[in-house]
Amino acid sequence: MDKITKNQLTAMLLITDTFTLFCFRGQISLTTVIGFICGIVIQFLMSLPLVKLYSMGGSVESSGKIIQIIYFVYLLLWGGVLFSMLWKASDVIYIPYENSNGIWGKLLIAGMIAIVCLYASSTGIKAISRSAVIAMATGAISLLIVIVSALLSSDWNNILDTKTADSLMTEISRGFFISGGLGSFVVFLGFTKGNYMKNTIYYFSGKIILTLAITISTILLAGGIMEITEFPVVTSAQLSQPFPVQRIDSLFLIIFAVFAVFSIGVQSLASAELLKKILPKFRYLRTTSVLAVMIGSAFLFSGRNNGYLYIISVGIILFVIPCFLLVKRSLAK
Amino acid sequence: MQNYKELTIIPDLKLNIRKIKEISGGSSDVLINEFTTGGIKCALICCEGMLSTATITELILEPIVNIENQKDSHELFHYIQNFMLLSTDRPVATEYDSLFRLINSGFAVLIAEGMNKALAFGVQGYAVRSISEPSSEGNIMGSHEGFVEVVRTNMSLIRRRIKSPELVMELFTKGDKSRTDLCLCYMKDRVPPELLKKIHKSLDNIELETILSTGYIRPFVENGNFELFSSTGTTERPDVLCSKLIEGRVAILVDGVPFSIVIPKLFCESFQTLDDYAFKPYYSTFIRWIKYVAFLISVLLPSVYTAIVIFHPELLNSTMLMLLVEAEQKAPLSILTESLFVLLMYEIIREAGIRLPKSVGGAVSVVSGLIIGDSAVDSGLISTPLLTITALAVISSFVVPELNDTMTILRLAFLIAGGIFGLFGISILACAVLVNICSTEDYGFPYTAPLSPFKSSGMDDTAIRAGFPEMQSRNFTVEEYHE
Repeated sequence: MDKITKNQLTAMLLITDTFTLFCFRGQISLTTVIGFICGIVIQFLMSLPLVKLYSMGGSVESSGKIIQIIYFVYLLLWGGVLFSMLWKASDVIYIPYENSNGIWGKLLIAGMIAIVCLYASSTGIKAISRSAVIAMATGAISLLIVIVSALLSSDWNNILDTKTADSLMTEISRGFFISGGLGSFVVFLGFTKGNYMKNTIYYFSGKIILTLAITISTILLAGGIMEITEFPVVTSAQLSQPFPVQRIDSLFLIIFAVFAVFSIGVQSLASAELLKKILPKFRYLRTTSVLAVMIGSAFLFSGRNNGYLYIISVGIILFVIPCFLLVKRSLAK
Repeated sequence: MQNYKELTIIPDLKLNIRKIKEISGGSSDVLINEFTTGGIKCALICCEGMLSTATITELILEPIVNIENQKDSHELFHYIQNFMLLSTDRPVATEYDSLFRLINSGFAVLIAEGMNKALAFGVQGYAVRSISEPSSEGNIMGSHEGFVEVVRTNMSLIRRRIKSPELVMELFTKGDKSRTDLCLCYMKDRVPPELLKKIHKSLDNIELETILSTGYIRPFVENGNFELFSSTGTTERPDVLCSKLIEGRVAILVDGVPFSIVIPKLFCESFQTLDDYAFKPYYSTFIRWIKYVAFLISVLLPSVYTAIVIFHPELLNSTMLMLLVEAEQKAPLSILTESLFVLLMYEIIREAGIRLPKSVGGAVSVVSGLIIGDSAVDSGLISTPLLTITALAVISSFVVPELNDTMTILRLAFLIAGGIFGLFGISILACAVLVNICSTEDYGFPYTAPLSPFKSSGMDDTAIRAGFPEMQSRNFTVEEYHE
């Protein structure tokens, strides 16, 4: 089996999480930040049975067809969510051909991303994980520019002044929405070298740091206009202008496009891996079919953040099924 | 006629000579000298132009004709083999296949009445190009010797630099018709055994009729997938090859080609030259980063310029924007068409310059650079900023000549993507290219190592160029990057 490092796993998953954060709709306040962080901590605690399962030599992929199908459907639906997010968020990001050609432009752009995802997924986990590290490093440098610019030129009062009407519980539930990489985490954790617990801690620590950095800088930059902002992270990137005589909005487009490709690519790769286990004889057009279903399922989602639905689904794939498998293993012994 | 490869030499001199003439089709360059020595009828067969006349006369013919009478041909061959040191390389042939291979490789072959084998003497002496400075890998501080077309000379160039007995050179032939000599070189204490085994296996799959350049071999030792960048390298410099061998790599020398194939090849190696190790580390590190930047400029500058001017002018400051608007207003073509036109014209002129004789090649440069370039700008057909951008991109590609072919194609592809879809198109294509580079892997050695998969220990000769005291303690071999 192809093995990946913890850096590669973390890069693949953080790209997906960052992309969902880019596409996050609604207001962000300090309560939201706390809610997100609590959500990540809860996700970490929920993933402990899974880590235990892998440490004991088990895996979700080799635990029967029904469980494989559950994870496969989850990944497909998340792929659909990502396409839906891309569709919605691209309205506020200037993509030349799309903006001037209506629905055909949108379809062409989605098609282009799907083709590159198809190619990326077809090269296998090693290639996509290696390239994800470089993409993540490039993205992190670009985000750092935005964040430093935010720290230098922003109104720090925004942190306390920006308020949302939602409770901490609601914000925690919304935090689950920005966790697009969890399905892939379940599949790919078994591919990692080294200690599974350390790898898990590494990923969730990175996720906390990244979420904190992006959300805080978003509040600093877009806090004043949060009420009228649909995509706060995109708006904050547009407001962050580190150079006095030039605008850098278009550079955000580069990060957005790269992260979109990799997050959908990782999702389709994980789905294709499971499909290989479910239908071993279905070799050809495996990734193509997965991507086609993902694009199709994108129409099921409006892109709205239905937090409780995400909590339930994450709970099932991250906690309930691994617990069930652990119990089954213990009883079998 | 029965396939001569299956025939063995028979103990009848006349029949053997007739067979040799029949197989060679009476070719004028196959010389058969019949004579009697030691009381036995013999024939010395050689290929004209492939051996040294002085050597064969002085070291073979003169001693051989003076042999005293022998009991029979077996005694004669025994005497020649054991009591006369006519040459250092003295193989024996028993089939016509090996007999012709030896003749065509510059050996003089002796057959005799009553003997079912032939004695060969290595007296090669064909005209060769002398060792000269490599044309494609310039160097200031290092050696000025480059490989030549003769594989054995190239082997000696390597041996002169690595006198260790651990350096192994396996000579073998490939190519059904060309019978090209190939030489597999490696350091037996450094090379990963699995790599060597796999390369042997790959070479066994070669069933070509002729091998005329390294390009014939490379597809067999490379991953069969579509790769933009080649996962095997070539070098024209024996000193560079020696440094690769010391790092545990494997080299293949091909007779008739002044280049060696190096396996495996890493992306970062394209930015390393031998001069890097001759200058101070801080200067070498600076030059290395200049090369990385030049690579990006060469591939991306025309496309980013086109994308910015057409779709993202907000990235420019007002002065720059006004300057470009003024320049582009006069040009009759769209910026994408104009860029494509300039890049394609450059490629045509470059190709013309390479293929034409040197005397005319200079004229092409004058006509293209001064006349076409100047008049195109003066007439307003091409804008000055675009020409400057293209020139910068093209000059940057010369900094990393090894990747020039890939950079040319990528430059055009990115230009089209940027011209139609702006920075979004460039980003999408960049993702595909990145994945392709990262999927390039041969024999388990990722092309993008040590960047991804990241190896911090590899950064001392990638991100920077550490000093020799630091590097010698590391004792690096390429096996560190194996996955």
